[in-house]
Amino acid sequence: MAEATVRFFEDLDQQGYEPLLAKLSGTLRFDLHEGPQTMHWLVRIDRGQIRVSREDMEADAVVGSSPGLFEDLVTGRENGLAALLRGDMTITGDARLIVQLDRIFPGPPHSVGPHRYRKGVR
Amino acid sequence: MAPSHTVRILDGNTFVVSEATGDIEATPTEPTGLFSIDTRFLSKWVLTINGERLNALSYDDLQYFESRFFLVPGLATHYVDAKLSIIRERAVGGSFRESITILNHDEKAVDLEIRMDAAADFADLFEVKDEILNKKGESYAEAEPDQLRLGYRRGNFRRETLISSSEPASYDRNGFSYQVHLEPNEQWDTDIHVRTHALGPGGRDLRIGLRVHGTERLALQHDLEEWIAKAPKVNSEHGELCSTYRRCLVDLAALRFAPLSLGGQTLPAAGLPWFMTMFGRDSILTCLQTLPFTPELSATTLRILAALQGTRFDDFREEDPGRILHEMRYGESAAFEEQPHSPYYGSVDATPLFVILLDEYERWSGDAALVKELEQECRRALHWIDDCADLVGNGYIWYERRNTDNGLENQCWKDSWDSISYADGSLPPFPRATCEVQGYAYDAKIRAARLARRFWDDPAYAEQLEREAAQLKERFNRDWWVADGGYYALALDPDGRQCDVLSSNIGHLLWSGIVAEDRAEQVAAHLVGDRLFSGWGVRTLAEGEVRYNPIGYHNGTVWPFDTSFCAWGLRRYGFAEEAATIASGILDAARYFDGRLPEAFGGYRREQTKFPVEYPTACSPQAWSTGAPLLLLRTMLGLEPHEGHLAVEPRLPVGMGRIEVLDIPGRWGRVDAFARGRLDLHKLAG
Repeated sequence: MAEATVRFFEDLDQQGYEPLLAKLSGTLRFDLHEGPQTMHWLVRIDRGQIRVSREDMEADAVVGSSPGLFEDLVTGRENGLAALLRGDMTITGDARLIVQLDRIFPGPPHSVGPHRYRKGVR
Repeated sequence: MAPSHTVRILDGNTFVVSEATGDIEATPTEPTGLFSIDTRFLSKWVLTINGERLNALSYDDLQYFESRFFLVPGLATHYVDAKLSIIRERAVGGSFRESITILNHDEKAVDLEIRMDAAADFADLFEVKDEILNKKGESYAEAEPDQLRLGYRRGNFRRETLISSSEPASYDRNGFSYQVHLEPNEQWDTDIHVRTHALGPGGRDLRIGLRVHGTERLALQHDLEEWIAKAPKVNSEHGELCSTYRRCLVDLAALRFAPLSLGGQTLPAAGLPWFMTMFGRDSILTCLQTLPFTPELSATTLRILAALQGTRFDDFREEDPGRILHEMRYGESAAFEEQPHSPYYGSVDATPLFVILLDEYERWSGDAALVKELEQECRRALHWIDDCADLVGNGYIWYERRNTDNGLENQCWKDSWDSISYADGSLPPFPRATCEVQGYAYDAKIRAARLARRFWDDPAYAEQLEREAAQLKERFNRDWWVADGGYYALALDPDGRQCDVLSSNIGHLLWSGIVAEDRAEQVAAHLVGDRLFSGWGVRTLAEGEVRYNPIGYHNGTVWPFDTSFCAWGLRRYGFAEEAATIASGILDAARYFDGRLPEAFGGYRREQTKFPVEYPTACSPQAWSTGAPLLLLRTMLGLEPHEGHLAVEPRLPVGMGRIEVLDIPGRWGRVDAFARGRLDLHKLAG
């Protein structure tokens, strides 16, 4: 359960630096609620330097989601901004942090990218 | 009532479109309403007195965010009973406020039932022109003691309209009413407040922390005054030029838009009513047009678009790493992925234009810090041009949509389905490459080379970019030149066959600098020639082409923004008189629209219609039409940043008289530019 989520945060912590977040600083807490249980992940970003922990402490932004939705986000099956607009994912505090962090989620698994043209092959 | 008679007020992406009485009764053909974040929060708002509708004597658009309606009971066809008058004053500023004043002019006391019917269909902006029949969620209406709550719920997606009043009202599910007794010459007032809520499960609004300025009327007024005071002053003997300029400044203020979740920075939204959102292309081109006048818009536009630059492959949204977005929407259809605008990336020009704007902005502002801040985004954009966009592998930018359900077929500015054709009128297969985008790619490389050398300390990259640009120019001039016509083809098909029609796109090529020097004169001659120049502006497609139609959206109409870039291109290659010719055509046209140029007008000959015929469903005000007179001023005055100072080399037609532009901001501080009309354009035409 929540395997991809654990892997996502562990990889992020190991990676240590994410160039796509180089302009960003702040703390972002993910509260993944299921029934009475809430899993916490705390992401500290300092101009692209990243540290991840399981602490439950105050943060500049708090993101709420179900563990299931979050699994889908970190595997590209769901899109973060659409989930925010739908209200399935919530944000309190500095919303810029999640709008920027969303950019490091992968694209949909079935997306293939540009269609390269080869004459006669259509 | 025709759409052009609707009254519109707005603040950011909250706006009200109503009839001349102030009433709202939305239908598919008359999509009036109160809109915010791409959702209609009021679809009915009808005021009656003793069951009778009201008739408008007059209305005023006081400012872009407020209007006032003077009304009397009874419909226009009836005898007008002027013993009662009603004044509705309304403003938007985050929420919507309306005050109603009723005056009894009779010598007798009257008893009145004053009623407002209110309803909200919560239509997504994408569905307002359809019958709203099968909403997937549920609507509700709750009459509470002190307010009316209209709502819509679909899963966790919730939108609510809350209506309350300063005078006690009795609320029911279809509106609210007042029983009022008025003595002779007595007056009655109430203030109605309509709040729009976009709620998440915690009941928190999505838009918290977003305000650009205070939402109170006075704060809006103050903000507008400051905006105008900060901009350069334009004085002219040609009085209408001054009023056009002022109109443009006010409309630009109105069109400023703060995207959700990006810290309240503003960029120009594309246009009212259907495009009050960020568009990569429209926002960038508007910034390029307005740089000498409102440079702060460029810095924020660049930052916002950089913050949402693509990072991954997403075929539904047509996102690629490095690609600059096309359009962002916040409504139900984007939320539930029934439309791809969260955001949608399907345009091929926004990405090179992003690089161009950064360079142009630095040349004016001297803001080296921003160039350094956005170095990686620029490099990613340039990489996208060479990699993701080159679908055929021959060094051009191509497009073919990956979202075949609701992606755009034509991902250039002429984005209607039939805008790209061969001379015989048939449509080419995909992928397609349009000419102006190749020009943008060339210009982006040349400009990025300057940035790399001067700010990124990477001369090797600069040389590489210049080499690539030179090769692109050579290749382009070989593959796209239509030798027997003396112009460049509109597009290529994937087998290299030319879409050999004559189009306005060649003006953008001059602007980009990709045109070979020895061909520029032929291109310039076409832009002021009979087939392209209508007398008001440059037709999107030349008269005489199979698909030419003076009211064809991209096949013959004149777009003021398009003409303004053609003028800039002409000036760049030294054709100052030709530039002044088409510039004065557009500025003359602006007089017929009280300074507010529409998106497009008909390509009819000027002698034939005597006035510019507005394109039927044109969007107005529209950002890049608003920017057009400003770019034309720049072009005619020959304003050009040059080695740290502002060069001024005016070439004005005689009829323009004297023009002065005072306090032009830039790296030089503030300087003034003066010009006097000396060009005899009739000599040129003859």
